[in-house]
Order: sequence, then structure tokens, then C-alpha cells
Amino acid sequence: MIRVENLSIELGEFRLHDITLDLEEGEYLVLLGPTGSGKTVVIECIAGIHQPRTGRVLLDGNDVTRLYPEERNIGYVPQDYALFPNMNVRRNMGYGLRARKRPASEVDARVQAMMDMLGVAHLAERMPLHLSGGEKQRVALGRALVTKPRILLLDEPLAALDEDRRAELAAELRRVHRELHGTFVHVCHSFEETADVADRVAILESGRLAQVGTIEEILARPASTFVARFTRTRNVLPATAERIGGACRVRLGQGPVLASDYAALDGPVMVGIRPEDIRFLDGQDEPANAFRGTVVALRPKPTCTEIELDVGVPLVAIERRGLGAYEFQVGQKVAVAVEPEAVKVFPRD
Amino acid sequence: MSGSRARAHLFIALCYACTLVVVLSSCWLFLSNVDQLVPAETVQTTDTESWRTETLSRRFAGGFWEDPAFWRSMNLSVFTATLTALLAALIGIPAAYALTHYRIPGRGIIDVLFSSVIVLPASAVGLCLIIMFQYGPLHGLQENLGFQVPHTLLPGLVVAQLVLALAMGLSAWRAAFAGVNPRFEHVARSLGSSRWRTFWTVSLPSAKSGLIAGFILAWVRALAEFGAVLIFCGTFRELPVSRFPGWAKDLQMQQADYLSVGMWVEIEFGNIEYGFGIAFALVLISAVSVYAIHRIGGKGYVW
Repeated sequence: MIRVENLSIELGEFRLHDITLDLEEGEYLVLLGPTGSGKTVVIECIAGIHQPRTGRVLLDGNDVTRLYPEERNIGYVPQDYALFPNMNVRRNMGYGLRARKRPASEVDARVQAMMDMLGVAHLAERMPLHLSGGEKQRVALGRALVTKPRILLLDEPLAALDEDRRAELAAELRRVHRELHGTFVHVCHSFEETADVADRVAILESGRLAQVGTIEEILARPASTFVARFTRTRNVLPATAERIGGACRVRLGQGPVLASDYAALDGPVMVGIRPEDIRFLDGQDEPANAFRGTVVALRPKPTCTEIELDVGVPLVAIERRGLGAYEFQVGQKVAVAVEPEAVKVFPRD
Repeated sequence: MSGSRARAHLFIALCYACTLVVVLSSCWLFLSNVDQLVPAETVQTTDTESWRTETLSRRFAGGFWEDPAFWRSMNLSVFTATLTALLAALIGIPAAYALTHYRIPGRGIIDVLFSSVIVLPASAVGLCLIIMFQYGPLHGLQENLGFQVPHTLLPGLVVAQLVLALAMGLSAWRAAFAGVNPRFEHVARSLGSSRWRTFWTVSLPSAKSGLIAGFILAWVRALAEFGAVLIFCGTFRELPVSRFPGWAKDLQMQQADYLSVGMWVEIEFGNIEYGFGIAFALVLISAVSVYAIHRIGGKGYVW
């Protein structure tokens, strides 16, 4: 439905390299990346705020690259919401319909319906200055949606909100997306927020597309050490790989670890192991890919305890919190194992 | 520990002392003038200048407010300054919008040119204008069309004021537009609003207070103009009434000088307290205007 093709642009020091993205009708795509990776520039190119140096933006098969923003029918909600300070909530929300010269009765009816849907009808006469962050977000969302855009671009819609309001509004975004059967592109820098809303994720690293896929695909098979680190793979370590038949054996610290999935690599590599894939052994079984070491530090978190281990190399593991959870002590000797499928192997950067 | 505390106190004391010097000296500047407004016993009591219609009495500031010539001066100044400010806004606001929104080649040179107009002595601007209109293509144009710009009420006075008023206004209007969140316009256009409609419904209202402040600033700058007006137009008080156009007589502006020029002429003629009277009126107008700019919330630091 929307296709971004070989998009490149230079803005001062910043460069966006050859971005290609496909978006299906009704999809919720998250553009994920650290600050300065170019997420906002990508959606601003889609919205028509920047003209790309090369590449095209196709909407339903039509090239819209050279069209003005007002000719594209693409909704845009910037990070600071940018509610017009000289208009109250009702006039802000009706702005797009008035610009399209819709009759006043239709504007009123559609704005009222949108305010009811988003639960902001009681704020209709308020000025933007007197709205909270969450209220502003809903009004900005409504202002963009009331014109029925082909696609809605959301730039860090949850970044300005408190921690506990964020989950609530993420759920709200999912609900609106479902009810309107809309196509959303959501820019964000937090992997946790992404997991709350996304059908599919596109990860950007310094102006380049690092990986595109569902959350499960990216967790199962990160394309690079950058993606692995960014999606909370805490253990990313240098190692050596050698090919043995169909599998590849990676030497890490004291012993070899099998990584069955990645057969193509040889020589110096990086490995990624997620903390939740490290299993503590009770001393009975002794699988081949086991490590012995000591507990170096314990860091309690809301839902788990992070356990820092020294097994010849530093490793971070986690233990779920709750009744019956195993209690560790600093300095305690432990044995851990990793399943071969859980070991991700990457070329050395 | 105590040494660093002592140094901190010394620093604060120094800052306060310097502020006190600034405040006291500006108060003194204005208050010492008040003293001059009341004439001494020895001042001449009759005025021999043809321009003056009343005799000078030993009243506050020579009783300038009772003199019709003063009010003709005031009419002329307020009328031309308002015309200048409107003209400056008509040219300056779209220019300021373009300079903040589009990548105009040579923007740096435009910056330098306009900033140098602000810091240049206004009399030099007047001289440049004289040369510009007395020689070259503009001179030929005036000859052919049968009118004259220098030494006229209109358009001469307005042209002389416009250069500085525009430079001043432009910097304020640019600051006003630069202070508007660019995303307002991005969002408006993504909602289907054209550039033209976006300018009128979003950009202009969002910059409103800064734009009004810039207008007042341009108006005060035009009213306070001295050097350029004096060099470019000279004085009008000695001209016979028949030389003034009908509208100037209707609006009671004939045989009157621009306020600042009039003040200078009075002092040159020895009517010190009358000159100070005009200065007093100018101080009042400036103070009220600056207060208005602050109340509106304009960026008071552009000059």
C-alpha cells in the first residue's frame, strides 16, 4: 500500500542511506532506533516535509514524492503534538476538515464523533495550554484521524508521557488502530514500547535500515550485534567460530558452545546470548555447553533479579522473582548452560 | 571555605553595584532634564521667530503644549511614522517570513547589510539616500515623472524613516517567526491546508504578539528618527505656506518640522526649555511604546 523506495537524503551532517520499506493496508509498523538514527527524517519524507535526494514514496502505487504535504492525505502527529495554540480543542480537531472546505455541519458532526471516541468531548472548549500531556496526545491524534488519512505517522507519541500513562495510551493506540482499520507508522526509541504496539518493526542504525520483521523474528534472529544489543541481548561477546559439518562451534571462554543455526561463519565472531536463555544447572545433568563460575553481583529489578556471573567471560543471567525463586549469594559457585539455538552468532564488526 | 564564601559575596556585591550605576545614571539622565524644563529668571520672554505664534512665557518647558506649531509637528510626526510603519510591515513581514522559512541564497549578506544599517549613524543613511535620489537612474525617474523625493513631506520623510524602521522591524519580525514551532505549519499542511491558508490561519496568529511588538518598534524607530530625516529632508518651518500641498494643510502639518528635528532647531535657536519640552514629549512616547512592547510579550532584546 505504501512503499518507500531507495530513499536517501542529506540534512546538514546527517545522512539517510537507501531506505526501502513496504507497508500493508491496516498494518502497525514501528520505526525503532536510537536518537539520531533518522527515524523522524523517514516519516518526515513520507509526510512531504523533506524532499529526498534520491528515491521515491509510493502511495497505492502512485508516486507522491514530488507532491506537497497537503496533496498527500497522510496524517502526521509530531512528537510535541503541535496543537495550534490559537485554537481550542474543537477548532484544532476541525482544522483539516475546514481546510478541505467541508460544510460546517459535517465538520461539527465528525469532530464530535472523534472527540467521543477518544474521550475528550469534555475538553472541547479548552485551549491547548490548559491540557495535560495525555489529553494533548489524544487531541493531536483526533485532529489527524478526523480527516481519514490513508496512513497515520506518529512521531514518538508516548515519549512525553509519564511511565504509567504510557502503557494506557499504547493500549489506546492499538484500540484506535483496530477500530478504524488504519495504517499506522509509529516512531519510537524504546524496544519495550515497540513490543506493546507493533505488528512489525523496522530498526534503524545511523541512517541505515538494520532489520525489518516481526518482534518474534527479530528476537529469534537479530541481524547484527547492533540489533541484538538494541533488543536487550545483554551478553554480546567476542568469540571464535569453526565449522564442523552442518553446524558451527563457537569457542567462548573456557569451553565450546554449539550454535547450530549459523553455519556460514568461520574465524573471529561475536555471539549474543539473551539473559533469559541462560539456565541454571542443579548439579545433576551436565550438558556439553555448560559453564562453571561464580556470582559477582545481584541487581534486583521489578520482575526479576539480574545476576552478574564470571564464567571466564562476564555473563548476565536473570532469575524470575516470586515465590519459590532460587536465592543467590554473591561469591556462590554456580553452573549454567545455554541451548545451542539460543546462541546468536554475528560477523565481527 | 570562608575564602570562597567571601569571594562569592564580593561577586554579588559587584554585580549589584554595577546595576546601581546603570539605574541611577538613567534616572539622573531624565531627572536632570526636568530641572532644565523650568526656565531661569533671565530667559527672554518674547519670541522673535516667525514660526512661533505665541510669545514664550516663563512656564514649564516654555508651554510647548499650547503652541499650535508643536501640534503641527506632532501631527506630521505621528502621521508619517504610522505610514512608515505600515509600509515597513507590508514589506517586512513577508520578507521576514521568507528569511526564516526558505533557504534564500545570500541570506548571510542580507543579515550583515541590515544589521549594519541598525548600527550605522542615521545621518550616514540620510547622506546615502541623498546620493541615491540626486544622481543616477532614480534622479532621471523623478525628472521624468515630475516629482521629487528629497526635501518633501511625502514621500521624502517616509523614505528617510523607512530604511531604519524596516531594518528594526525586520529583525523583530524575524525573531517572531523564528519563535514559532515549525511543526505547526507541517501539521497544518499535512491536514490539507495550502501554504497560503497555513500562513493566514497558523503562522501569522502564532507569531501575532511578536509581530505587533515589531510594528510598535518600527513605529517608534520611525518617530525617533533624526539624522536621516535632517539630512534627507532638512527643515520645513521656513517654507512659505503656499509651498505645502493641500492635504498637508488639511491635516495641519504645514510649516512644521519633524519632532526630533524641531527639538534640535529650537536648541540651536536658543529656546533651550522649549527644546527640552519636545524631548520630554518624545521620552513619554518612547516609554509608553516600550511598555506596550513588553506587555504584548515581544522579544524586548532585538535591538
